Amino acid sequence: MKYLLALSTALCLMAGAAQAADKKLTISVYSFAQDAFKKALYDPFEKICGCEIVVETGNSVERMAKIEANAANPVVDMAVMSSHDALALARKGLLQSLDVSKIPSHADLYKSAQDPIGNLMAVGYGFYATSIVYRSDLVTIDSWADLLSDKVKGRVALPNITGTQGPLTLHMLSKALGNEGIDFTKTIDAIGEKKDDIVTFYGRSSQLAQLMLQEEVIAAPVGRFAWSRFSGAKFPFKWAEPKEGQTGGMNVMLMTKGNGNEELAYQFMEYWLSNETQTRIAELKLDSPANSKVIVSDEIAESLTYGGELINSLNMLDSGAIIDNRDGWVDRWNEKVVN
Amino acid sequence: MFQNQREGLALALPAAIFTAALFLLPVGILLSEAFKVDGSWSLQGYIDFASKPLNQVVFLRTLKLGFLVALVSAVIGYACAFCIVNLDGKHRGRVFGLIVLPLMISPVARTYAWIVILGRTGIVNDAIVGLGLSETPIRLLFTETAVFLGLLQLFMPLMIISLVSAMENLPKDAVPAARVLGAKWLQVFTRVILPLTKDGLVLGGTLVFTGSLTAYITPAILGGSKVLMLETLLYQRVNVANDFVSAGIIATILIVMSFGANILLKRISSARS
Repeated sequence: MKYLLALSTALCLMAGAAQAADKKLTISVYSFAQDAFKKALYDPFEKICGCEIVVETGNSVERMAKIEANAANPVVDMAVMSSHDALALARKGLLQSLDVSKIPSHADLYKSAQDPIGNLMAVGYGFYATSIVYRSDLVTIDSWADLLSDKVKGRVALPNITGTQGPLTLHMLSKALGNEGIDFTKTIDAIGEKKDDIVTFYGRSSQLAQLMLQEEVIAAPVGRFAWSRFSGAKFPFKWAEPKEGQTGGMNVMLMTKGNGNEELAYQFMEYWLSNETQTRIAELKLDSPANSKVIVSDEIAESLTYGGELINSLNMLDSGAIIDNRDGWVDRWNEKVVN
Repeated sequence: MFQNQREGLALALPAAIFTAALFLLPVGILLSEAFKVDGSWSLQGYIDFASKPLNQVVFLRTLKLGFLVALVSAVIGYACAFCIVNLDGKHRGRVFGLIVLPLMISPVARTYAWIVILGRTGIVNDAIVGLGLSETPIRLLFTETAVFLGLLQLFMPLMIISLVSAMENLPKDAVPAARVLGAKWLQVFTRVILPLTKDGLVLGGTLVFTGSLTAYITPAILGGSKVLMLETLLYQRVNVANDFVSAGIIATILIVMSFGANILLKRISSARS
């Protein structure tokens, strides 16, 4: 009898251990700073949940294509993306509406992050402001229209239309030039007329930082997440506060439809959005917090898109407008700017 | 070598299966998509591609830069190769080593060096301003000139190596004999050296031209989105638009251009002889 009891206890323990090892959450995230995210987010969560986090990275197009290809039997349980990419997936019916009662920190998020694409298909976890970084010893930038003015002629770079910053720049340039309409036709044409005065249309903020440190470029629009590349540099770079305001965007977290791993995914979302984790991530300057309860020092805040006043003032571009008009923008851009 | 043909085929079979399964089949599947519209075979994709002005500009730019890089490589390559084969053994080895050395360095490192050289504060602009050719630095980066220089530096060693190999087989007394008989240097080159080294030129020309057509890193870094070439456009179609059909069309065009260049060069060389 004793042997039988010992055997059944051992079997139970083995089954429990196997279950913990089987508890796995597959997430799809940006490739950016994954070592830091592992220490600040994934490792602590794995200890709490007794599970394994499988991290998949890649650019947005690859990650979206993978979610779409595996729609019938999702490989990815939870993903983080830009709000317009999330909306594109939602429109294809690949996401499930979130039950925010399972994410208590949801109530602490800034209002714009609570339901950014509608039907609770995603929640925001981080913001970024976009403005113009410039060499304050060589030029003064007061308006987005200055990007096309003679004072930065031959020394300005713009983000490529195919990246996240491209449409945001068009949005603010349109505002500055008084061009109405979401098709940005007049603004793209204006850039086309000045294309020879523009050094390049950059794809990555690291490329822009290199060009600015090499004195090739003295002004360019860039996301605040890249500000640390400039703030400690040998040249006096300044973050512009144009009269039209700053633009920006939001990154969101979402859950794939029918992944069967919802409980663990909710647990991870709550952990990521909690005050404690968002503060830790903010202090490491990995992401700007969407949780309004997060408090960081002025020094940390300087590198982030931080605080309700700033976040509420951002001239964001509607996610739906981006998806509906992107092909048209790219066609016009190819015709007038890179042709 | 083998007692029967079957033994030879059996030995070649693993390599053939490997190539077919891991190269020909996937490439075939990928490229076949470029010949389909709504599931049926069609060339409409190519017609649509060719009708877009941007694609026309990019195609002609790619062709032009490939041709120019091959042409200038051949001109400089002949001069270099002629010098190298006339050096004594010890010096020849050293110079040849210097020619080969860049091939051992990553194209990324080589291309990034051009960013420093061609930048506003680089040595080229320092020299231009210093010599009074321009009052302010001129923009060289993100121009066709920058891409041309990058590709030339990247592929010229291949032309030189091909021409050195061809010239080493040139009879030692062929050039002196032509000179003694009164031929001028241009005649020596066109009537003696060129016909006798045409195989090296065809090989080098094909390597340089196809290399220039298919290089990605150099046009991407030195040209960016302002100087799109077919290979950077292909990357953009896949990575930005997830458009594998356009990517397949561009890949097919690049393959056809590469084979076309090789056939053309062979025809030209055989026509001369």
